Amino acid sequence: MNRLNNLPTLRINPSEKLTLKYKGRTFQGVSGDTVATALFANGVRVFARSLKYHRPRGLYSLDGECSNTCMEVDGLPNVRTENTLLKDGVTVKEQNVVGSADRDMMGFMDKLDWMMPAGFYYKTLHKPAWVWPLAMKQVRKTAGLGAISPDFRIKGRYDEIYPKADVCVIGGGAAGMSAALAAAESGRRVILLEARPWLGGCFDYRSAPYEDGRPLYERARELATQVRETPNIRVFTQAPVIGVYNNNLITAFQTGGPEDSFTERYIQIRAAGLVVAAGCIERPLLFDNNERPGVMQVGCAHRLARTYGLLPGTQAVFSVGHDLGLEAAIDLFDLGLKISCVADIREDGQNPELLLGLKERKIAFLRGWVATDVEGGKSIKKAHLSTVDGTISKSFECDVLIASAGLTPVTGPVTVAQGKTAYDHHTGYFLVTETPKGMHVAGRMTGLNHCRSIEASGRLAGLQAVADCGLDRAADIDAAEKTLAMLPGPERGAKLVTAPVKGRKTFICFDEDTTIKNIKQAIEMGFDVPELIKRFTSAGTGPGQGGIPGHNLPLYVAKYEALDTKPPKPTTVRAPLTPTLIAAYAGANHDMHKRTPAHHIQKAAGGVFRRIGVWRRARYFSQDFTCREEILNVRNNVGMLDASTLGKFRVHGPDALKALQRVYVSDIAKLKEGRVKYSAMCNDDGCVIDDGVIVKQGENDYYLTTSTARAGATAEWFRYHTRYEGWNFAVVNLTDAMGVVNISGPNARKVLEKVVDADISNEAFPFSGYREFTVAGAVPVRAMRLGFVGELSYELHVGASYMPTLWKIIEEAGKEFGIQPFGVEAQNVLRMEKCHIILGQESEQRTNLLDVGLGFLWDRKKTDAKTVGAAALKQTEGDTGRLTLVGFQMEDSARAPRDGSIIVDNRVRGYVCTARRSFSLNEAVGMALVDSQLSDIGTRLEIFEDECNGQRLYCKVVPKPFYDPEGKRMKM
Amino acid sequence: MSLTLTCPICGKRNGYEFRYGGEDKGPRPAEEGLSPRSWCEYVHMNKCVAGVQKEWWFHRDGCGTWFTTHRNTLTNLEVEEPEATS
Repeated sequence: MNRLNNLPTLRINPSEKLTLKYKGRTFQGVSGDTVATALFANGVRVFARSLKYHRPRGLYSLDGECSNTCMEVDGLPNVRTENTLLKDGVTVKEQNVVGSADRDMMGFMDKLDWMMPAGFYYKTLHKPAWVWPLAMKQVRKTAGLGAISPDFRIKGRYDEIYPKADVCVIGGGAAGMSAALAAAESGRRVILLEARPWLGGCFDYRSAPYEDGRPLYERARELATQVRETPNIRVFTQAPVIGVYNNNLITAFQTGGPEDSFTERYIQIRAAGLVVAAGCIERPLLFDNNERPGVMQVGCAHRLARTYGLLPGTQAVFSVGHDLGLEAAIDLFDLGLKISCVADIREDGQNPELLLGLKERKIAFLRGWVATDVEGGKSIKKAHLSTVDGTISKSFECDVLIASAGLTPVTGPVTVAQGKTAYDHHTGYFLVTETPKGMHVAGRMTGLNHCRSIEASGRLAGLQAVADCGLDRAADIDAAEKTLAMLPGPERGAKLVTAPVKGRKTFICFDEDTTIKNIKQAIEMGFDVPELIKRFTSAGTGPGQGGIPGHNLPLYVAKYEALDTKPPKPTTVRAPLTPTLIAAYAGANHDMHKRTPAHHIQKAAGGVFRRIGVWRRARYFSQDFTCREEILNVRNNVGMLDASTLGKFRVHGPDALKALQRVYVSDIAKLKEGRVKYSAMCNDDGCVIDDGVIVKQGENDYYLTTSTARAGATAEWFRYHTRYEGWNFAVVNLTDAMGVVNISGPNARKVLEKVVDADISNEAFPFSGYREFTVAGAVPVRAMRLGFVGELSYELHVGASYMPTLWKIIEEAGKEFGIQPFGVEAQNVLRMEKCHIILGQESEQRTNLLDVGLGFLWDRKKTDAKTVGAAALKQTEGDTGRLTLVGFQMEDSARAPRDGSIIVDNRVRGYVCTARRSFSLNEAVGMALVDSQLSDIGTRLEIFEDECNGQRLYCKVVPKPFYDPEGKRMKM
Repeated sequence: MSLTLTCPICGKRNGYEFRYGGEDKGPRPAEEGLSPRSWCEYVHMNKCVAGVQKEWWFHRDGCGTWFTTHRNTLTNLEVEEPEATS
């Protein structure tokens, strides 16, 4: 097809050729084409088949308001090809067809519409009940849109951004650009969102004169240049809005071009002021066969020619209801389109200059006429027209019918944010009557049509939005209001709801194949409001998000019900206003994790890292995931562990002790300097949430550790439970500022002795002691003698930057004893053998302090402290039927159950928390939370494990701990 | 998602930065002589006002302060001046 290659309005580059594959053939498009326009240029007129009736569908709106041009592009289904820019080499397929869109074997469905009245699924196919599964299979085969393969993997890069703005403008047309420029005058940051790939809106493709006689497209380009040259306006093109929420939160997505680093990205903006200048779409004209390929809207035909250089056909009939239609007829005639006649719904009110233009070109003009039907299947041959009252009719040969009832404002961005609209009898629009705080509407969507009025309303809204940022722009706003008042206001719109037809094949919703007849049926059945009719007939529930029926449905319902007491009420618009890929919402898959200061050293030592909470930690130091060597080296020799992920805090200030008494169950007042105290925290239900140690470093100055998982929430917890008290204390999170090396094993003292300047003999530094000394004469450490793994053990806390040095010093000193690093899994087994619990592993949400056997920590005398959890613990103390933590030994010593396996008899009685084969004991042992009735020593427990093939595992309850019950080894 | 809150230290911020801390129920009751019922009511029972309520928020991704504010639960908007409630 020959393109009009020399138009100044073109948005394509005819010299840059691109290819696409369709139906096994290679077609040529040009740079700037959408997939749909490239296909159109190659003579494709039928793009898809409709959902239910398999009617052929073609280019209709060129703005993605219906599923007519939804196709599969490179394996991705339901792509709106009319707003998707063509990329070189893509493969395009039609959807929901048996055969091809041109020759669809399911085309006969169109003849069966009599079988499918509104709501026929609900009324038929369900009695007897076995019919439905069979029917459903058939329905799924014949109806629907695209199908996605289960193996489909989306390509591309997806991202998300959260740009800051003072003012956000939705819509890059003349009003939006004027608003952005006005808002930017005061130096505030402005973001402009435009759905199309360029700025210009409805000025962009029109050659009608602007006020000074220049064509409108020149004015559009002038404004666009000004916007681009204003440094504080950030423009996002190809960025349709998804939703608008409270406090001016705006979400959108943007499709990237070849130079962009993203395929699609999610955009979220919070602005003080918001201007919605989303413009208008066309209100579809309702007549028989109003969606045949060859019937298209005014803007579609006009833009096809002016933007893409493609004439919509050779011989056209126009049936319009707005001056834009007359303007398009004149312009397209001048570009070479033959026009049989132009029918206008309106008897009068047309712009006289446009009428003169039609007359000069000898184009037949019919006032008060409208299209009633078209003849033809996959293309049209004839259009039937009649007077609006249906009394006189005429027919015209044509291959394209350009039809539109008028315009309808895009109020979605306003109504999703709880703005209100009302039917306006002058314009025939649902106009915005109430906006949320900080939102302003401008441009064509307010009913304005005059080019200067559109710009002036944009300027006014832009200034109002800046005033929302706290700037005093009263004088400018006043002037802008006066300017706007002097200019032409909203124009009277055409209100015809449907052509005089019965409506069996008059489609009010293209996506769902809903006809006027279906709507009538629904109303006859008693559905009286559009919201219910929408659901019953599914009109407006398709991919077009109500773009086609959004305005016509309420008008038609109001008309049919003929009640003037009820104004027409549109159905609710919801986000996403424009649907996008889930990939865009998901964004990039960032693995955000923390690394300890000894990360690289452990990596070099062969550490196998795993994500554990927010950290990546060395879980193993060999490929033997049972960790046999690591465990035995700790038990028999000495090992070192990076425990830097422990939560570490300093709590100090005059009321520090009070705060500790509030959150810890023990009496912290008894804590002596130089000693370490182990304690736990509960929540208000008495459920244990954290355990750790506390060290007193001075009067009202404490250093404490929490479990890794609680590190993030501890400061919040302290402050929450003291929020009413006004106590004077500070919680300082030192988790990332401090690193921790744990040296454990019978030879631990020998290693440490070599490098410290202090006496660390068992007498000078006993179990549960706390000391501060220097390692290698340079590294100051806080040392604690603890026994989590059940051996002689030192925990050295140092400033994070000392960590690698300290690690190397210890490693060097331990060389002669064969010191080896051990990982989190080895530690897990070692501490399990000692029945030292890890909260979250040996506890769950409902487990309280008493259940896990830590009741001895609770000091019930300190009631004045109002300890968190104490009141609840008192109440649960005598409860029966709780889960209790027990130790168990497997009957088969070679086989430990998996963590999380359930304890059963004839019902579930508990679950296994941790169980491993123990190399120290040569047994399989573990801990489980079981019904307290099963907690007596010697009770035989039955374990059900996934994949146990019906074979239960058996164990018996044994005393805790399993290893070194007297605890001599950690105190030696 | 669209909520904004005004932290007394950092000013107006996105709701994402905060953690909800429940209705303002007053200080913890004395532990001595506390009945299970009144304890349960203090911890678990809420007024669930359909309108303006005083509530606690924590500026988690900010200064780390717990503060109270008034929010209209019907609009999910923070209100500057609490309306008189009887």
